[in-house]
Amino acid sequence: MTFELAACLLTLFLLAGIGTPIGYTIILAATVYLGLSGLDLALTGEKILQGLYRSFILLAVPLFIVAANIMNAGTISEWLLNFCVALVGRFRGGLGHVNVVASLIFSGMSGSAVADAAGIGKVIIEMMTKEGRYTRGYAAAITAASATIGPIIPPSIPMVLYALVSNASIGALFLGGIVPGLVMGAVLMGMNAYISHKRGLDIDEAVPLSELPAKTARAFPALLMPVILLYGIYGGVTTPTEAAAVAAFYALLLAGLFYRALSWHTLYRIFVDSARASGAVGIVIGGALILNFIVISENIPEMMSNLLTGIDVSPIVFLIGVNLLILVLGCVLDATTIILVIVPLFIPTCRELGIDLVHFGVLVVVNSMIGLITPPYGILLFVINAVTGIPLREIIAEIWPFLAALLVALVMVMLFPGIVLFLPRLFGYAG
Amino acid sequence: MEKLSRLITRVAEPIAAAMLAAMFITFLLQIFSRYVMLQPFGWTLELCLILWVWIVFFTNAFLVGERDHVTFDILYNSGSRRVRTVLALISAAAIVAGMLYAFLPTVDYIDWMKMRRTSTVENPLTGERIPLRTIFSIYAIFMVVVALRYALRFVAILRGGPPDADHDLLKDAPDATRVEER
Amino acid sequence: QDKVELRMSMAGSETDQRAVAMAEVFGPAVSDFADYKPSYNATLFAQGTELEAISRGNLEMSITSAQELAQFFPEFSIFTAGYVLQDADHQVAVFNDELFDPFKARAEDDLGVKLLAPMYLGRRHVNLRQCRDELDVKTPADLEGVNLRMPGTDAWQFLGKALGASPTPMSFSEVYTALSTGAVDGQDNPLPTVVDAKFYEVTCQIALTSHLVDWNFIAISKAVFDGLTEEQQAAVTEAAVAAADAGRAAQLQKEEELGAFIEENGVEIYEPDVAAFRDQVQKMYLESDFANDWPEGVLEAVNALGN
Ligand code: NA
Ligand code: NA
Repeated sequence: MTFELAACLLTLFLLAGIGTPIGYTIILAATVYLGLSGLDLALTGEKILQGLYRSFILLAVPLFIVAANIMNAGTISEWLLNFCVALVGRFRGGLGHVNVVASLIFSGMSGSAVADAAGIGKVIIEMMTKEGRYTRGYAAAITAASATIGPIIPPSIPMVLYALVSNASIGALFLGGIVPGLVMGAVLMGMNAYISHKRGLDIDEAVPLSELPAKTARAFPALLMPVILLYGIYGGVTTPTEAAAVAAFYALLLAGLFYRALSWHTLYRIFVDSARASGAVGIVIGGALILNFIVISENIPEMMSNLLTGIDVSPIVFLIGVNLLILVLGCVLDATTIILVIVPLFIPTCRELGIDLVHFGVLVVVNSMIGLITPPYGILLFVINAVTGIPLREIIAEIWPFLAALLVALVMVMLFPGIVLFLPRLFGYAG
Repeated sequence: MEKLSRLITRVAEPIAAAMLAAMFITFLLQIFSRYVMLQPFGWTLELCLILWVWIVFFTNAFLVGERDHVTFDILYNSGSRRVRTVLALISAAAIVAGMLYAFLPTVDYIDWMKMRRTSTVENPLTGERIPLRTIFSIYAIFMVVVALRYALRFVAILRGGPPDADHDLLKDAPDATRVEER
Repeated sequence: QDKVELRMSMAGSETDQRAVAMAEVFGPAVSDFADYKPSYNATLFAQGTELEAISRGNLEMSITSAQELAQFFPEFSIFTAGYVLQDADHQVAVFNDELFDPFKARAEDDLGVKLLAPMYLGRRHVNLRQCRDELDVKTPADLEGVNLRMPGTDAWQFLGKALGASPTPMSFSEVYTALSTGAVDGQDNPLPTVVDAKFYEVTCQIALTSHLVDWNFIAISKAVFDGLTEEQQAAVTEAAVAAADAGRAAQLQKEEELGAFIEENGVEIYEPDVAAFRDQVQKMYLESDFANDWPEGVLEAVNALGN
């Protein structure tokens, strides 16, 4: 490790550790690195400005925040979640199950875990913590964990990135993510049931079945939202990013006209609040952009690959090795860097060992999504912290069992390629 | 001081809200122009990106408070009052120093970007493409305002001790989550 | 003595023809005195920021486009216009002709970027999701109302309009999904890109409009270049030309071969009335603001070098 990198990491961990805002901490650490290396100090600003100015995909973040705030203030998501409660709330840890099921529904609307967490996550956390039955750390942790499903079930931005570097079929990758996404949902619900039982959480009062039709009718326009968005994306009306704007617009129509729960003043406050939350998230995303530059300048990916070359391994040992590496890297790097920089190093070896590239792709995307909730550098943890104000230490304290559950899902996907390849093969994938 | 900060908030809030609303409407316009008018506007995408850049740095300069930020405060909160004072002073001083150290080179870069203009968005008054210097200038403003804010904070901590409210405010709140009043 | 570090940032992947040619031909040819360090997928500098990075001394090399250069110098838009460059050989002739000297000088003087050699990207064609029985493309009129994805800058959008389509800006990574869902009707790229990005999976026809014979330039920092000895400068230029030649040959061969592969995958490939497209596109360019930026006599000189 170079002296400059060491100084950069020291600054990063030191300032972050004493409670300096993460976004500013990264900017400062990068400035230290650039200064000591004799590089252009303006690179920090250049990376952040150009990164934000050129990332179309990131525009979904503020718009999903707006949509979530409208749904929240306009009671839409409450009607939607009431319906989920009537369905799966009758079991112990009911709202935890509702959280996961809602994430599964919403993962069909967006390709970005960050947008999922920043959007619907905030609403569910509020519901879960309202009556004090769940700690806010637990609510935030299960929300972060279930948001990782977002990019596994299509549409998915990380899978598009993987397809670009691997030449694997995007169509097959999208289909391949569906079953693993459901498996992840299942293990999270299993863990939620176990913890709820162990903690002796009261069973929520079951909603009488006679009330179900009324609840469904009231929630129906809201339930239509994922349907409209899925039709919008798969019916070719919008791109996944534009779907975020459609979501906000539909929420606005519902809240204003159907549920009549939105005043002009509330709407104004929603936009002020959403802008503020977008800014707090945006500065951290910007920080990740300059951090990526340093990682690449320091040749860290190449050093990693040199460690692996020349070792004669069997496919399964190779997969285990790669997954362990990505898990470790996921603690400090973001998913985009891992997929664009680290993963391509392993693709030639995959071909040699006869590992299916769609299987490998879904596997590494699942793995790098898990990295989004591994401390200390877990973007989803930061995002939920930013939009809800729940302290990171409380979230991290509750994240471990869900992390373990997702690792079980990861091992299953690794050992049984059929979980990934079943659906693509059904639709004619030859691999 | 309090008065000035309230005034800034009162001016900045409608600007931030208007920028986000404009971004939202532009996105809808993009979809509308493609599907209803069958003649997509070329400039909608870039306008959204410009607004996004401005929203991030404008809000961080004028609206995002210490407690709105993503922070990792395990160590901070476990320290004694004396320790917390020192840590908060280090944080504030580091931010001021870092922003000022990188300020002139960054201004040089932003000024250099006058060479390059937007590729689709035009200034409605002149009909000319906008230099990226204009668009990126918000980052220079952001650096100055943040440095100023943390310098004032440094002084306030020296006088009044650690700003614990920024980290613990939510513990007393009835709701765990910070949601606007209905 | 330490070798000169030549960091290259490019948006393409490691398997891209340009990347392969640079790594296999350029890198070894300068290895006596320079350390060629490529980084792919725009990970070092975002796509479209390489020129300013070179100009500000933060990067040594990139593979840049006429569209990028036109963002700084509007006169470069003549090389982004439809039906101006005719084929790969024409590109080389234009690049080496004295008509191109003022363009090179402008990039060197104002940006500090030296253009070493032209790289051939291929002929761009219109690739649609509709099958031919639904939409048969003969003339620009047939593309009316067709949502054609084009890159987000005005030069590209204008080209889409000139072709008669409704151009839609969209980032490249969204195009596959947008084609499979119908968010856009088509895209325009050379055949190798159609294969690399798997667009043949989600489209039904390719009309061989050849509306743009696209090119890139191998670019190096002028300051770094001027710091080399004369022999080293000659070696760098020679290596870049050799890499461009190798990449061009490989890309031409790919274009030749991939048609059959694409057709095997159920995409119909046919030739529309290219003359009708050329007439309309050239006419629209000459009537546009772009043509105002084109220096006097250059278009004629370019045409004279062609067939
Ligand atoms: Na998704
Ligand atoms: Na992590």
